[in-house]
Amino acid sequence: MNEKNSKVDRTLAQLGAATPGAVARLFTDLRAEFDKDVAQDIDAIDVGITHLNWLGRKSGVISKLTDNWLKTAPLELRPVVGQNLNALRAHIEGEVERIKAAKEAAEEQAALARAGLDLSLPGVERVIGTRHLVRQTFEELERIFLSIGFSIVEGPEIETPYYNFEALNIPEHHPARDNMDTFYIDAPGSPRGFLLRTHTSPMQIRTMEKQKPPVRIVVPGKVYRRDNPDATHGYMFHQLEGLAVDTDITFCDFKGTVDYFIRSFFGPKVKTRLRPSYFPFTEPSAEVDATCHVCGGSGCRVCKNSGWIEMFGAGMVNPAVYGFVDYDPKRLSGFAFGIGVDRFAMLKYGSDIQTFFQNDVRFLRQFP
Amino acid sequence: MKVLYNWLKEFVPVTATPAEVRLRLSLSGTAVDAIEESPAGPVLDAEITINRPDCLGHFGIAREVAALYGLPLKTIKPKLKESNEKVDTAIRVEIEAPDLCARFTARVIRSVKVGPSPDWLRERLVALGQNSINNVVDATNCVMFELGHPLHAFDYDTLQEKRIVVRRPRPGEKLRTLDGMERALTKDMCLIADGKRAVSIAGIMGGAETEIGFSSKNVLVECAWFDPIAIRRASKALGLRSEASTRFERGAETEMAELASRRCAELIQQLAGGEILAGVADVYPGRELEQKIEFSRQELLRVMGADVPDKEIEAILGALGFHPTRVDANRGAAGSLVARWECRRPSWRRDVTREIDLVEEVARLHGFDKFPARLPPAKQPAARLPHAEAEDRLRERLVALGYQEILAIPLVDSEQDALFRAEGISPAKIVNPLSEDASVMRSSGMIGMVQALEWNLNHGERNLRLFEIGKRYEIRGGKPAETRVLTMGGTGLAREKSVHEMAREFGFADLQGDLDRVGEIAGGLRWQLGGPGWLQAGRAATVSLTGKDAIGAAGQLARRVAEAFKLRQDAYVAELLLEPLCDGYYASRAARHFVLLPRFPAVERDFSLVLADGTTFAQVAETIRSASIAELTRIEPVDLFRGGTIPPGKHSLLVRATFVNPQATLTEAQVSSFSARIVAALEQKLGAALRTS
Repeated sequence: MNEKNSKVDRTLAQLGAATPGAVARLFTDLRAEFDKDVAQDIDAIDVGITHLNWLGRKSGVISKLTDNWLKTAPLELRPVVGQNLNALRAHIEGEVERIKAAKEAAEEQAALARAGLDLSLPGVERVIGTRHLVRQTFEELERIFLSIGFSIVEGPEIETPYYNFEALNIPEHHPARDNMDTFYIDAPGSPRGFLLRTHTSPMQIRTMEKQKPPVRIVVPGKVYRRDNPDATHGYMFHQLEGLAVDTDITFCDFKGTVDYFIRSFFGPKVKTRLRPSYFPFTEPSAEVDATCHVCGGSGCRVCKNSGWIEMFGAGMVNPAVYGFVDYDPKRLSGFAFGIGVDRFAMLKYGSDIQTFFQNDVRFLRQFP
Repeated sequence: MKVLYNWLKEFVPVTATPAEVRLRLSLSGTAVDAIEESPAGPVLDAEITINRPDCLGHFGIAREVAALYGLPLKTIKPKLKESNEKVDTAIRVEIEAPDLCARFTARVIRSVKVGPSPDWLRERLVALGQNSINNVVDATNCVMFELGHPLHAFDYDTLQEKRIVVRRPRPGEKLRTLDGMERALTKDMCLIADGKRAVSIAGIMGGAETEIGFSSKNVLVECAWFDPIAIRRASKALGLRSEASTRFERGAETEMAELASRRCAELIQQLAGGEILAGVADVYPGRELEQKIEFSRQELLRVMGADVPDKEIEAILGALGFHPTRVDANRGAAGSLVARWECRRPSWRRDVTREIDLVEEVARLHGFDKFPARLPPAKQPAARLPHAEAEDRLRERLVALGYQEILAIPLVDSEQDALFRAEGISPAKIVNPLSEDASVMRSSGMIGMVQALEWNLNHGERNLRLFEIGKRYEIRGGKPAETRVLTMGGTGLAREKSVHEMAREFGFADLQGDLDRVGEIAGGLRWQLGGPGWLQAGRAATVSLTGKDAIGAAGQLARRVAEAFKLRQDAYVAELLLEPLCDGYYASRAARHFVLLPRFPAVERDFSLVLADGTTFAQVAETIRSASIAELTRIEPVDLFRGGTIPPGKHSLLVRATFVNPQATLTEAQVSSFSARIVAALEQKLGAALRTS
């Protein structure tokens, strides 16, 4: 390098290069010199010094060439010197960059080898909450019914016997009351008394009292039965009541609606069937069965080998009910249903009703 | 009711397999849960709905099967060999309570040989879940299971004065029933008495003293009709349900009473011999008038939405005993839209009184599956609950903050509830609770929260953040009131130790911050020291949206309450009224407007202050604002500590102020001048010293 340094400290004239060919040869030598300089093992190269020697502003080769060769060159040689100089600079710059990048990559590699990512370690876990499974089930059902024009209404849990029973065509001493053992509420000064509603059906009456037909509602809420709790029954559970009344609602509409929402909730392959049954506030009444969503109807443990699962009770609104709300039974017809929301959640996800309300976070976390 | 397939075949020549019959019955209103095998053949376990007492006997089910398969139903015609002696000479029947007993029939059979029943009968009864007693009692039960009408056999010789009186009990009257229990009778019950005393509780259970035993010689067979409500009341009052009471309380058939009695006499004679006295003592004050009901195609179409052919309508109604007759002007035309049929209600169908009842009969036997399904077009927009959106946003925030939603049963222990009950609240108590721990509707949402914390701590889950959107209940002015509340609870670690982070305990500030994030969407919460008794004194706060009306309380659960629930660690809880939060959400949403983003950079300055204890951050902020610097946009506390080089009675607060000029970049000189004004104000008004580190 020192020998060359001396070369670059002199002018072209001093070096005796008077033709373009001679200039080119000088540059070729310098380029070979540089290439030799950086041809060693990459770890041995000090990019800083290489940069300083060749590209340094004050005493780098390139700036010396500019001062000593280019600026002093006779006019006719200048373009040749300029071109060669530019080419050499570009070559050196490119090589220095390449070496720098290679060195950085090698260093990173080494750092990774010392302390790399362990992807099997969990990341920072921000705790996110969950909505309760029963709440999620309500939301799912409400979305389905909203999509077919059912509005959502709510009513009181502490009801009167009138709304819970009488106006639903269940007079006192009706045997149907046996299936709805009732908690009564002590309300001093209130002779007719109050009770915890045994179903969400009272809102059928309250809605029809207030609203002229057409009526199309679903009623989510808590209901209470005085039953001793077991795996599938608690003394509190959730229902979604439905009611549609208009001048042109028929049993076929009832079937279509039931069919639609069962498929929407349990899946498009699930089929429904209606079995005639009896409820005081509907006529004709039906139990809605659906093909078992687990086995598809071929029979399994969930459906007790029948292929069908009983879903909920429903039917056409008994005309007797219209008498309590001043609706004309000759002109109006409708259907009503009462879905056990916890039961739907149990059918879809397993679990049992006791677990739902213990609020164990190990359970709650299972349904994010 | 259990139904023997072979017994059905005695009334209807059905050839379908039991499994087929089961399916057809189930899809027409008689749910058959299972088929079991028995020595008497296959047994169908049928669930009879309460409106169909006529199906509580094999004959009634056979009628359904006949209608389903279009098969003939056998007529019941008992053949009796009667003696010359008339029954009237042996017994006199009086009904003193015709409102409770519409019909009473009695037959007397002399010189029977009471003994065990033959195998075929015993097998049948056992298959139906009925013990075999003796041939006479078994005959009454057999006829009940056959025709659905309950009967009772008395030992005729034990009846005094040879009189039967149907009446209400006298004050204090008692009867020892067949099961050996002494029963106290009350005035609304219906009683069968002889000339002297009670011998049977009508329709529920016979007396022990007049029971048929192996030594009985002469038998009186009772077959009557009792008022369903009276039977139901008495059965409930006595806590006594029997096969008989179940049938009577659903409404038995008055006309059937005499036929069943005749059939029973026939069977007793067949099984135990004896002489049947001629005729029947039959007192029938409550004979029902024949009822006519019309059935029209128009109503069928209006309710069901699809048609059923004339022939099938007639076949179904005919097979069920309604004798349909076309009565419209278009009588000759099949399928006429104006077709109407006049029907006669048979005595066994007291449940059918209106046209809709006939529509149901036609529809269920035609098959619900034959009516096409269609989705009714919506005519109105569907609306969610008014508070639904606000609640969604609150729930969203709480979930994002790491809170898990719980749903608690609002029926709670009264004593525990009292721990959270505000003064002057009268709780909604259950008159007839199942247990003490579910005897009142909760008067605070807090109890459900604390119970959930308790459950989880007891099950090894120590780090909890929970919320519930629910209700609290009370009686206000004699009327129930339900108030929607949001409850929150946190305990244990706010952040668990991991390879990346240090652990940190959940504290008051966590609850406060989380509540503020929730309250933010309702317009922001204001906090005040002090709260209800279920919060620890000094660690309790009240929150409001306006600064005036409190909407809830938050703080550390009082130790006394935590101990009552055996919580072994500190918990931080809050209860807020949901309605003002939802209203606040809608109001603040409506009032929100876009604020122009500053085009010039903000500049921050930190002030390390030494303040006398008791000086609040609010005072510091207020003082800084009092310097009236228009460019000041934000004041935030960054660090707070005591001890070290800070003298006792003082603390150090690091406050950060942010300045922005919307028109230009702030110069160093401007910011220095702001700082000087702020420091001067703090020194002057709060005696704060600027700390040099």
